[in-house]
Amino acid sequence: MPKGSALLRGISIIVAVTVASFLVSSTAVFGINEQPKVTPEVRADIIDIDSMKVFGKLERPSVSYLHQRHTEALEKKNKDCSVCHLSEKDPQSEKERMSTRFMRLKDTTRQEVMDIYHNNCIACHNDTKAAKEKSGPVECGECHQQQATVVSSWQPIGMDKSLHYRHSKAMDKKCEKCHHVYNEKTKKLYYAKDQEGTCRYCHRSKTEENRISLRQAAHGACVECHRERTAKNETAGPFNCEGCHEASQQKLIEIVKDVPRMQLNQPDIIFVKTSAADKEKINPLALMNLVPFNHKAHEQYNDSCRVCHHANLTGCEQCHSIQGNEDGGGVTLEQAMHRPNIDQSCIGCHESQQAQPACVGCHISFEKKQPEGTASCANCHAVPKSEIIGVVGKDDEKMMAARALGQRDAVARTYSDADLPETVVIKALSNKYEPVKLPHRKIVTTMVDKIKSNQLANFFHPENGTVCQGCHHNSPASKTPPKCISCHSKPFNAKDPFKPGLIAAYHRQCMECHKAMGIAKPVATDCTACHQKKS
Amino acid sequence: MSDEVTTTGKSYLTPFNIIAGIIIIIGLYVTVLRFTKGLGAVTNLSDYNPWGIWIGFDLLVGVALAAGGFVTSSAVYIFGMKKYHSAVRPAILTGFLGYAMVVVALNYDVGRPWRLPYPFIIQRGTTSLLFEVAACVALYLSVLFLEFSPAALEWLGLKKLRNILMKLTLLLTIFGVVLSTLHQSSLGALFLIAPSKLHPLWYSPYIAVFFFVSAVIAGLSMVIFESTLSHRYFADKMDEAHLKEKDDIALGFGKAAALVLAGYFIIKVIGISEGNNWHLLGTPYGIWFLVELIGFVALPCFFYAIGVREKNLKIIKWTAAWTVLGIIVNRLNVGLVAFNWHLPSSERYFPHWMEIAISVFLVTVLLLIFRFICTRMPIMYSHPDYPEEH
Amino acid sequence: MSISRRKFLGWLGAAGLGATVGQKAARAASNKHFDGYPESNGVLFDNTRCIGCRKCEEGCNKVNELPEPDRPFSDLSQLDTKRRTTAKAYTVVNRYDDTGGGKGPLYLKIQCNHCLEPACASVCFVSAFKKTATGAVTYDASVCVGCRYCMIACPFEIPAYQYDNAFSPKVMKCTMCFPRISKGLLPGCVEACPTEALTYGKRGDLLRIGRERIRKFPDRYVDHIYGENEMGGTSWLYLSQVPFKEVGLREDLGVTPAPALTSGALSVVPMVVGLWPVLLGGVYAINKRKEKIEQQEKAQAVAAAVEATEAEAKAKMKEALEFQEKQKEKAIAKAVSQALEEAAKAAEEKVSETPAEDADKKSSKEDS
Repeated sequence: MPKGSALLRGISIIVAVTVASFLVSSTAVFGINEQPKVTPEVRADIIDIDSMKVFGKLERPSVSYLHQRHTEALEKKNKDCSVCHLSEKDPQSEKERMSTRFMRLKDTTRQEVMDIYHNNCIACHNDTKAAKEKSGPVECGECHQQQATVVSSWQPIGMDKSLHYRHSKAMDKKCEKCHHVYNEKTKKLYYAKDQEGTCRYCHRSKTEENRISLRQAAHGACVECHRERTAKNETAGPFNCEGCHEASQQKLIEIVKDVPRMQLNQPDIIFVKTSAADKEKINPLALMNLVPFNHKAHEQYNDSCRVCHHANLTGCEQCHSIQGNEDGGGVTLEQAMHRPNIDQSCIGCHESQQAQPACVGCHISFEKKQPEGTASCANCHAVPKSEIIGVVGKDDEKMMAARALGQRDAVARTYSDADLPETVVIKALSNKYEPVKLPHRKIVTTMVDKIKSNQLANFFHPENGTVCQGCHHNSPASKTPPKCISCHSKPFNAKDPFKPGLIAAYHRQCMECHKAMGIAKPVATDCTACHQKKS
Repeated sequence: MSDEVTTTGKSYLTPFNIIAGIIIIIGLYVTVLRFTKGLGAVTNLSDYNPWGIWIGFDLLVGVALAAGGFVTSSAVYIFGMKKYHSAVRPAILTGFLGYAMVVVALNYDVGRPWRLPYPFIIQRGTTSLLFEVAACVALYLSVLFLEFSPAALEWLGLKKLRNILMKLTLLLTIFGVVLSTLHQSSLGALFLIAPSKLHPLWYSPYIAVFFFVSAVIAGLSMVIFESTLSHRYFADKMDEAHLKEKDDIALGFGKAAALVLAGYFIIKVIGISEGNNWHLLGTPYGIWFLVELIGFVALPCFFYAIGVREKNLKIIKWTAAWTVLGIIVNRLNVGLVAFNWHLPSSERYFPHWMEIAISVFLVTVLLLIFRFICTRMPIMYSHPDYPEEH
Repeated sequence: MSISRRKFLGWLGAAGLGATVGQKAARAASNKHFDGYPESNGVLFDNTRCIGCRKCEEGCNKVNELPEPDRPFSDLSQLDTKRRTTAKAYTVVNRYDDTGGGKGPLYLKIQCNHCLEPACASVCFVSAFKKTATGAVTYDASVCVGCRYCMIACPFEIPAYQYDNAFSPKVMKCTMCFPRISKGLLPGCVEACPTEALTYGKRGDLLRIGRERIRKFPDRYVDHIYGENEMGGTSWLYLSQVPFKEVGLREDLGVTPAPALTSGALSVVPMVVGLWPVLLGGVYAINKRKEKIEQQEKAQAVAAAVEATEAEAKAKMKEALEFQEKQKEKAIAKAVSQALEEAAKAAEEKVSETPAEDADKKSSKEDS
């Protein structure tokens, strides 16, 4: 049947073609990746070019642009930033300011911006390729990569006390070289003494109206200055990407150990208090007891002022009112002081300090909650509010605060060696194993030694017996705290489900502390390290 | 043993017989091992892979390929297509022996085969689809036995009993279709309990429907396939009606198969759509799924249609064999390939040679019994005492 | 074939009776929603407390009189490879090193999760598995046929089989120490754990305990109790420091209980049993009727044809007869006319002839 076999042949060909085309196209359609897995290169100078975002949704993936590679290449040819960056006169400072945009001062239309990128980049790459030098991509997909071949290791950098000291020294303490303030009325920048703060107080992550973003401000100010000084052969910081933003390079930045205290008329010891506006509305006797605060000591605990002074250099109560207002972002004064998990609040910072290796062994087993009872409040709210009535004048207040703090000596407190048992023999429940000979005194003195110099710890361990409560928990501080068997017996009591049985109480108390503090020995699974097996 | 087998006077030691004999010997040896040393000694089953080819092939494929029985008998007795009458007895015999083989294979596979009647006599587990499969297979085996027995009774000369049984034909046929629908679909539904273990392209809430429809396809194709082989090896046993009707049977069943394959293709595509699994088609498993769907469903459908239209029996016969292979591929895919697809390759299953030996052994025994029966009993011809009832 | 009304009603009654008998299959394995027995117990595993000491494995082994393992339980190098439950080990602990957080390795103990609606109980066709009121899912080896469907069904891949046992192979899985907990004792693993990483209690209480632990230590736990809803809820619950899939617990199992996955298919069975005979019987009847009508029409056509031919034959016959009649008449007329002619002729000759002609006439008379 010739007709039949012709039909068969035809259909077989169609089928074969369909199958083949499907298999071939499946890479494109279904994304079977034929490319070998490429380990991405790690760099700190990657700029994500997604400038077209302002015009709508991106049609192609954004471009990972390697800035330093280009600056280095241009340097070799004795070319500088002006190859890519246009300058304009800054109306504020009357200086020539380089635009961080590529080959343009502002975004005009979609097509124009796209053309600027395409025409300039591709042309330059073509030229370098023609000159037989290493060049960049010219095909669409090589820049607009579906799968990233570079991964950013960009690290942020900020001005900390050491850097700031070095800068101010280099500038001969001429603060006006970097610090300025903006006058809303005259719409001009000017230098105001005693109003210097971090750039971040005004320059945010995004450009707002005529307030440029922190990135633009920082690069414009820092990089420019560094370049100029280097050109004049003066010591200066880096002006390439990696010098500031690469982790290993950041480690090379010289750190000045004992930075002299900044002179900004900041107080030594002061009360943390409510604002004057609040005080007018509320009877002072109806407020919380006062908190004397050692500002000078706290200055040493952070690398920069902005950890606490996150919006400006004034006191917290200037923005955070008792009931919360717009200035404070709705955060009440109480929340600002007590909210956990954020560094600018007192409690938040103190809690994060508890995660230090020397502290975490005990503190990890404490539940996350507001401490019950009023005793712990009194730790900070030490001065009865009645005492402030009648005290007028900042200096008098400060003296009072200093006196209140002076009455407390923050030293490491624990019982004397004579009162600390040297060895504690734990023989409850020794059926499979011999009793445990716990080197009690050694443990206590080691732990206390570790926190001896920590002012925070000393302040909050006000009694001799406070550190003992790390293990001797859920009972008042005492020289002779009760034995564990007083509360822990059989496990899985449905009426008291959160109290472990005696074995688990012993085991977890020791093991969890060891694990948290990273103590390698004794290994938790090595039973005989703590108690010998009974023969 | 009568001389009917060796009508030409040849000896018993034909190549087929020799090979079959070797297989039987190996099979018996492995059987002894299985029942004295346990499953671990003869299989590669593991805790991750409790079902191997004795379930995947012997049970799942066996039951599917034995579906010709209900398809043919329902076509002839319920749908009244009398011109396929000569295909009924061979189909019933294939079905009966097929199910019998399945039950024997099951005795090898379960841990305590003497307890197989327990679900019916000791304690039921009616929430299980396996209970439903067991009950329906057991009943259907009885139905097939009763449907087959008139041929044996004619051979034995027991007229009265044979006539009684012939009267039950319609009832048994209806019952057989009900039971077949239930257990063919339930074999697929067995896997509904394990969506986390079966690849999404094969797992579907419709899997029971897929198994049933593909069983119909298997039945139709097996009848053509078996008829082809029978006409090659048992042509001297066939009567005029048989020889005359064989082309019609191939054409008619081929047409039906083309139609059902087309329907099966459509519902499989609906299944992919229901699961929104289009993106999986590009993965390696997806490509294999497409091989199964296009190579073993769409193409046979096409070629059946061409064969029927051109009245080209050669195409139909080859397509039938190809479709049977496709059913085997599908059942093995569901049971072994797509099952546990998420496990690392070190934990995947490949049968032990002894498992393969038993499967081959059982198929060989089936062929030998088939040959025995066909050469003695009125399967391919009408017994002279009982003229064909048309 | 025809059935009498009486027979038909009899069959219906028997079918109905059969359907009502035996509705006491384990509730947990049916397709109705099941919230768990009220006093059902469970175990809460907390991987922030587990130190990977394997004492639970040892305790289980001793309490259930399982065979001694090849390496002792104190050999922690066994944790270097991932293990699963086997015919000799109802429970194993696995170590996970590369979890997020860098807090050192985490451990997870796996064993039967004693689901509220167990897949194994649903699929066992001899009801060898039962969800007991204590919460434990127990296995009855005295009815098990060894089909191993439970191993296919279990989404957590827990049941193991004694493939090496030729004559009495059993499915092996954790029993939650059913005999012990029925007496008020603790399961072997729970009792052996030195840090109470395993907490035994009522399932409801365990859920409350778990939530409270998460509330008290939000930085320590992932905010989810695994097993609360997975596969419809399990009696063995898990708390973890890191996402569960990083410690070997599948998070893609969904919350549908296993029996609900097959209840749809099972519910179709009675419909098929009820409707298929009607449909097929209907098809058969329609076909039969069609055949009958065909035959009738055929008979009619034959009869009509016969009639037509008969009528035709009759008509032909009549025609032929008439024709013959005519012929006959014609012949008679012809003969008569001939005779008349001859008579007339004879008469004429007689008149005209003499005596001499008499002799001739005589002879001619004799001749005629």
